Amino acid sequence: MFGFVGTLIRVNLTEGTIKKEALNLNDARAYIGARGLGTKIMMDEVDPKVDPFSPDNKLIFMTGPLTGTFASSAGRYEVIAKAPLTGTIGASNSGGHFGPELKFAGYDGIIFEGKSKKPVYLWINDDHVELRNAGHLWGKSVFDTTDQLMEETSEDARIACIGPAGEKMVLFATVMNDKHRAAGRSGLGAVMGSKNLKAVAVRGTKSIQVADPDAFLEKCIDARRKLKEHPVTSAGLPTYGTEILVNILNQSGALPTRNWRDGGYFEDADETGGESLTDKFLVRNKGCFGCSIGCGRITRVPEGKFKGFGEGPEYEAGWSYGADCGVKDLAAICKANYICNELGLDPITMGSTIACAMEMSEKGILSEEEVGRKLRFGDADAIVELTKMTGLREGFGDKLAEGSYRMASGYGYPELSMSVKKQEMPAYDGRGVQGMALEYATSNRGGCHVRGYLTSPEILGVPEKLDPLVTTDKASWLKLFQDLTAVVDSAGLCLFTTFGIGLPEISSMLRTALGLDCTDEEILQKGERIWNLERLFNLEAGFTKADDTLPPRLLNEPLASGPAKGKVVELDVMLKEYYQVRGWDSEGVPEEGKLKELSIK
Amino acid sequence: MKIKFFAYIRDYTGSKEIEYNRCATVQELLDELCIKYGIKFRKLIFTDDHQLSDEIIILVNGRSIVHLNFLNTPLKQDDEISIFPVVAGG
Repeated sequence: MFGFVGTLIRVNLTEGTIKKEALNLNDARAYIGARGLGTKIMMDEVDPKVDPFSPDNKLIFMTGPLTGTFASSAGRYEVIAKAPLTGTIGASNSGGHFGPELKFAGYDGIIFEGKSKKPVYLWINDDHVELRNAGHLWGKSVFDTTDQLMEETSEDARIACIGPAGEKMVLFATVMNDKHRAAGRSGLGAVMGSKNLKAVAVRGTKSIQVADPDAFLEKCIDARRKLKEHPVTSAGLPTYGTEILVNILNQSGALPTRNWRDGGYFEDADETGGESLTDKFLVRNKGCFGCSIGCGRITRVPEGKFKGFGEGPEYEAGWSYGADCGVKDLAAICKANYICNELGLDPITMGSTIACAMEMSEKGILSEEEVGRKLRFGDADAIVELTKMTGLREGFGDKLAEGSYRMASGYGYPELSMSVKKQEMPAYDGRGVQGMALEYATSNRGGCHVRGYLTSPEILGVPEKLDPLVTTDKASWLKLFQDLTAVVDSAGLCLFTTFGIGLPEISSMLRTALGLDCTDEEILQKGERIWNLERLFNLEAGFTKADDTLPPRLLNEPLASGPAKGKVVELDVMLKEYYQVRGWDSEGVPEEGKLKELSIK
Repeated sequence: MKIKFFAYIRDYTGSKEIEYNRCATVQELLDELCIKYGIKFRKLIFTDDHQLSDEIIILVNGRSIVHLNFLNTPLKQDDEISIFPVVAGG
C-alpha cells in the first residue's frame, strides 16, 4: 500500500462499536482521497435527503494519499457530512497536525455513524482504538478540551474537537484541531455535536510508504523549491499572512463593506489589513505539518478591553468582522476571532451574520430590546459580545446561531442575507470580480471562495492575468480551478501551494507516491469526477438550477463607485456558459454522456 | 495625484502614501519614484532590462494597468495610483 495506509475505522456511536476495515482501493484511486473519497462514501452510504442532524447522517474524517508525507504542505485532512447550514454535501478541510497523526497511527480515515446516548470521544493510540466518556468535557472550550485530552491520553496526542458551539448545534460550528485550525465551513462541528461526539484524540508512531521514494523525494524537492522561489509563498504569505489581501481588494473596489451595502471600498481598510496586523499584534508566523510557507499568525493583543492571545485572524475573518461590520478596531477583530476558535465557530458566517443584523437594526427591523443593545455598523464591542452569545446560544445569539439567511428570513427579509445556498459569501464582491461571483453561485457547498479561487487570476494576476470586470472565458477558467482544487483537497495538500505550483507538480507527487501510471489530464479528470459527484449529491438532496444564484443585491444593485462602478454580476451569461462547459444540461444536470465519461454511472 | 504603497513596498518608501506632481504616464511616474527612492526601490519595480517586474501590481484608480495601457497608461492630476507586491491569501 503506497500513499494510503490502507485501513479505515468505522465507529457506530449508537451501538458503541468500533470496526477496522480495508480501504476500498478502487474508490480511493478513482476519487483520490480526503474530500473526493469521503464524498464517494457519503454517496454510497447516506441518503442525500437525510436530515443533517439525523443519526443517519454520517461524519467522515478522511486524509489524502499525500497527507503526512514529504509532499509540500501536505498536512490537510477533510471532514465530510451532509451540512446543516446549507443542506448540501459538506466538506471542509483543515491543516495543523491532526491529519498526518491519524495516518501515522495507521488509518486513512474514520467514519462515524449513528448517535451516542452520552458524550464520548474517540482515543486512537496506534492499533488501540476506544470510545471514552466525554461527560467531563461537555461544555468546555476548544482550548480547555484540547489541554484536558492531552493530559489524559498523551502529551503527544493530536486533538480534533468541538467547542460549545458544536455541542449546541450552532449551524456554522466548526471542527477544530490543534486548538486553532478549523474545518471551518458549513457547520460540520454541529453534526459532530448532534452525535454527542466531543473529540478525536490520536497518537501515531508508524510511517507512510510511497511507491518510488527516490522519485517522490525529487518531485517534492522540486515543488518546495518552486514555493521558495515564488514571491507569494516565500515572502507575502509568511510575512503578512492572508490579511495582506485587505488592501488590494479594497483598492480594487471589491472589499464588501457593511453587509455589502456600501460597495467595495472600506475607508478604514488599512487599519484592519495585514500590514497593521504585522505592525501591531504579530508575535510570529506559524506553519502546519511539513509546510514551507507558514502563513499562520500567532498574535497577541497586549492590553485593553480586547486583550488576548491566539491565532489569526485570517483575511476572511478580518474582513467579516472588519469591513463587513464597518469595524476598524483591529484589536476587537482579533478578539472576536479568538473567541471563534475557542467556542468553535466559523468567523466568515459569524461576522457576516452580525453584519446582516447590523443592517437589519439600522433599518428598524430589529429592535434594541430584542438584540439587547443598540446595534449599528462600526460597533467594535458588539462583534465580540455577539460572537460569545452566539457560541453559547445566549439571548439574541440564539437567533444569530442560525446564520444570516434563516435569521433574516425569520423577519421576512431573506434578501438581506449575503449568502448562497444559505452559506455566507466570503470577502470578494462579485460585482467587481465577475468570475468569483460565478464561483459563489456554483460552489457545491454554497457561498465559498476555496472551491475555485478566481480571485487569484482576476485580482492578483496568478497564474494568468484575467480582467475581473469581464465575463469572457470565466466559465472555462472556473471549471479548471474547481477541478484542480478538488484534486488538491483530495490529495491532502494545502490549497495555498497552488500559488507556486500547479497540476504538473501535484500530479508528479501523486504519481510517484502512489505508483500511478497516468497523465496530468487524467488526474485533473479525477477532480472533475469529484465535482460531478458532489453535484449529484446536491441534486438528489433537492437542489436545482434555481439555487445556483446570488443575493439580489449583487444582481440588481450596481456598485456606486470604484473601478466596477455601475456593475452588477452578469450571472445569466456566465451560468449558461458554465453548464455547457461542464457538460451539463440547461437545468444544470450532468448529461448521461458526461457521467459515463467520468465513470460515475 | 495620490500614490499609495502597500506591504513591504512601504519598507522601501518609508511612507504609506504621498501626493505627487503630475506625471503623464505610469512609466514616467515610476521613473520619478525610482529617482526619489533610490536603487533598491528601482530593483524592486523593474527588471535589469527595465521591464516592469512580474512581482509588482500597479493599479490606477483600482484598475490594474495590465487591463489599461500598461506602462503607457495616461495619468491625471486626481488619479490614485496603488503599488503592491504580488500578494495572495484567501
